[in-house]
Amino acid sequence: MRISTKGSYALEAMIAVALTDTLHAVSIREISERTKISDKYLEQIFSSLKKKKLIVGIRGAGGGYRLAHDAAKITAGDIIRAAEISISPVVCVNDPESCPRSESCVTRVVWSRLDNTISETLDHISLQQLKDAFVLERENISDYFSI
Amino acid sequence: MKLSTKCRYGLRALIDLAIYSGGGHVALHEIAARQNISLKYLEQDFSVLRRAGLVKSIKGAQGGYLLARPASTIRVGEIIETLEGDLLVIEIDESEETDIRSFLSKGLWTTLNQNAAHALNSLYLSDLVEFHLAHGSGEMFYI
Repeated sequence: MRISTKGSYALEAMIAVALTDTLHAVSIREISERTKISDKYLEQIFSSLKKKKLIVGIRGAGGGYRLAHDAAKITAGDIIRAAEISISPVVCVNDPESCPRSESCVTRVVWSRLDNTISETLDHISLQQLKDAFVLERENISDYFSI
Repeated sequence: MKLSTKCRYGLRALIDLAIYSGGGHVALHEIAARQNISLKYLEQDFSVLRRAGLVKSIKGAQGGYLLARPASTIRVGEIIETLEGDLLVIEIDESEETDIRSFLSKGLWTTLNQNAAHALNSLYLSDLVEFHLAHGSGEMFYI
């Protein structure tokens, strides 16, 4: 059961975007420096995020990307699903037609439970909450060191 | 995020064993036939399960496998962990630690892995057997 690096990097990148000044579009270069994810990989990730309308591209000088909605309205689940092909452990959980056994399949019960747990965890936290928690943690650490 | 075929087949085979053993042992080729799983896969899986202490083997021509402990004591999480190697939804990326990555590793990813492990460990093999007996559709039941 895995969320691949594409999913986890997508979340890191979106947190990085949320942390920048929201009035300005942020470039892939800036996000790459912040997250240490390669430009090339970020381009793939941003392309997927744009397709799912989580970010918008701004053309021209000073162009780049911006969040498409308020960070409070985007969940970690939205971001990871946009980047990954699927976050379900097996296909039949979301597509019962894909297997003739779906109706009475016991193992599907297990995978459904796992899928629900993962979705619940990821859908109950927004990008805004992650950003706020990150900032708070960073402030706490610097407070600690400044005493 | 996909579970390996090995894991899915192994779980199905164990449920089959729990249902059909009736106190005795079951030959792998019977499970293979009932569940339409290749015998080779089963041999690999059961070898791993035996080493982990979840099943016991009876050698010989009329041999087979049986559960090492009652199905009500075997957690589904244990089975998956044995077959997959771990119960991680996301592997923590140790390379290139950035502040954001570290924040997620210690927070959300840890919570996610814990929640998933808890969900799988709160289900027992016996629960799956009961579900099957309650919902199996007549003659043609599936695991």
